[in-house]
Amino acid sequence: MTGSLLFQSLVLGILLGGLYALLAAGLTLYFGVMRVVMIAHAAFLVLAAYLAWDVHDRFGIDPLLSLVVTVPLFFLAGVGFQRLLIARLRPATVTMMSVLLTFAVALLIEGMLGFVYSGTQRRVQLSYSAASIEVFGAQVAVVKLIAFGLAALSLLALYLLLTRSRFGQALRATIQHPQAARLIGIDTDKVAGYGFGLGLATAAVGGAALSLDSTIYPSLHWHWIGPLMAIIVVGGLGSIPGAAIAAMVLGIGQSLLQLPLGTTWAQTVFYLALFATLLVRPQGFFGGRLAQRF
Amino acid sequence: MRNVFERRASSWVALVVGAAALLSFPLWSPNPYILSAGIVVLSYAVLSTSWNFVGGFTGYMSLGHASWFGLGAYGTGLLITRAGVPSFLALGLAGVIVAVLAVPIGIAALRVRGASFVIVSIALVLVLLLVFQSWRDFTGGSDGLVVPRPFPDLLPPRAPHGVLLPVRRAAGPRAAGWWTIDRSRFGLGLKAIREDEDKAQSLGVPTFAYKLVAFVVSATFTALGGGLYALWFGDLDPIFQFSILIGSYMVLMALLGGVRHLFGPVLGALVVGVAIEYFKVSYGDTQFHLVATGLLLAAVVLFMPDGVIPAVAGLLGRLRPQQSSIREVTAAELLEQNRTAADRPDSTDSTDSTNGADRAEVRR
Repeated sequence: MTGSLLFQSLVLGILLGGLYALLAAGLTLYFGVMRVVMIAHAAFLVLAAYLAWDVHDRFGIDPLLSLVVTVPLFFLAGVGFQRLLIARLRPATVTMMSVLLTFAVALLIEGMLGFVYSGTQRRVQLSYSAASIEVFGAQVAVVKLIAFGLAALSLLALYLLLTRSRFGQALRATIQHPQAARLIGIDTDKVAGYGFGLGLATAAVGGAALSLDSTIYPSLHWHWIGPLMAIIVVGGLGSIPGAAIAAMVLGIGQSLLQLPLGTTWAQTVFYLALFATLLVRPQGFFGGRLAQRF
Repeated sequence: MRNVFERRASSWVALVVGAAALLSFPLWSPNPYILSAGIVVLSYAVLSTSWNFVGGFTGYMSLGHASWFGLGAYGTGLLITRAGVPSFLALGLAGVIVAVLAVPIGIAALRVRGASFVIVSIALVLVLLLVFQSWRDFTGGSDGLVVPRPFPDLLPPRAPHGVLLPVRRAAGPRAAGWWTIDRSRFGLGLKAIREDEDKAQSLGVPTFAYKLVAFVVSATFTALGGGLYALWFGDLDPIFQFSILIGSYMVLMALLGGVRHLFGPVLGALVVGVAIEYFKVSYGDTQFHLVATGLLLAAVVLFMPDGVIPAVAGLLGRLRPQQSSIREVTAAELLEQNRTAADRPDSTDSTDSTNGADRAEVRR
């Protein structure tokens, strides 16, 4: 195993980790505002990827332009999902029942995708699909760089929104202590709805990035939701920085392990990390005051 | 008092009629297809009841029980094909192996509650799917594993009597186990965990040990169900054995029927299993059954999270005449009832039913 191969894997791992970080941040948002584990997150991701593919296939537009439509659409869908479905569940059992509800939504989306687009594997072919550039001796595909850039930009935007705006403050207050947030006059229901919308918007961005460089099929979302859920548990449920760091570490780990073990076995790194975390530190490695009770 | 006896008697009658219908099913099933579909539905009932040992008693909803199902099926299959163990001995051994495996996994998984537990259960299925697909030399990978059937001439059309034997054998211990736990101190502790784990712990219930025992029992029963599946169908593939969908069927059936009742999962399995078979026949190999499962699960979660049995019981409670025992009525309600009775000595059904409705409201 040469050094340049190792370096190449490291770069690819960082690029993959960026996408994981964005999606895991979305999952953490849902959990933060509503204590909901959104199993349908990856299904929405695949749905967005299919929409990007469809736009490209039908009108010949660059899949990235589908973001103009999908991001607002997913944001609204997220707000609606929270207000119309999650809010209906009994508060005492909301964590458990919402897992089942979002699981049902994931099945629904997978089934509908199979119904509408059939189970055939799809891939977007672009003029720059095969292009790659050299970074310090490592060959990196342009589409992967674009995907990473998109993820990093969205993550930065999310970070600024959460730390610099009044809405971000309200959202973080809702995550920290909903009751206290209500007492100081924050409309937590509304904020929780917007939090959900933001989470789904990350899935829309991730979907466009995903459609650039991977083959998509309806049941793909199971390959994403497993690692993503492992990431948010390892990072500590409810902690966005924790999720981002865990995503980076595990993404790089997966990419490096692919060299000696091959792609399939390398995936198990997420689950091993998950079980190790549970044994050593069940509340996760960063923050995660909430984790053990939920 | 009479009503209690009546109700108990009627539930016994229902039980006996149901059991008789179940046991004589091969005799009256109209054609081989219905018979084999019936066996599938029955094995769903067995699996879902096994799930309910942990989901129903402790409230820890595992979406990943397919991992135990798959481990049981593959354990049985591998013991038969690789080690040459006789079929039913292999089934028992696989059950023991899974029970041993479930202890460390349970210790890890039960350290967290609620959502994290669900995540862990799903992760378990996904990792087992990966392992069984990649470990091609041992498990056969995606090519599948063919298990020799122990009943060579027991094809459904020819030998209707022996067919259900394994399923019957599987159903018995589960029902007995449930009945025993439900009435024991152990079961009381488990239910306390379901209602409020912190309070249960502070009252001295050894919550972790109780949860672990329930978890291992449930895993073992599920694995035995999986082993029977392997023996009966004789063809295993990781993608079907370690399928999230199977785990979600178990949850859906138990929830639909009602997790707090022994027969809840059975009832759920009848409804959902028949629906699944129907969808498979009418829509073939499309993705439609996913959509249907998703819609049904969402509807159950949103509209009757306690299941059909409590929902129907609540409806019947409104129609039922006066309650039997004063212990179920508060002093204020009793006073109200006495006053109504005094006002109208010829107590009619209509007033009774309104009383029943009030009481149902109060109790909820």
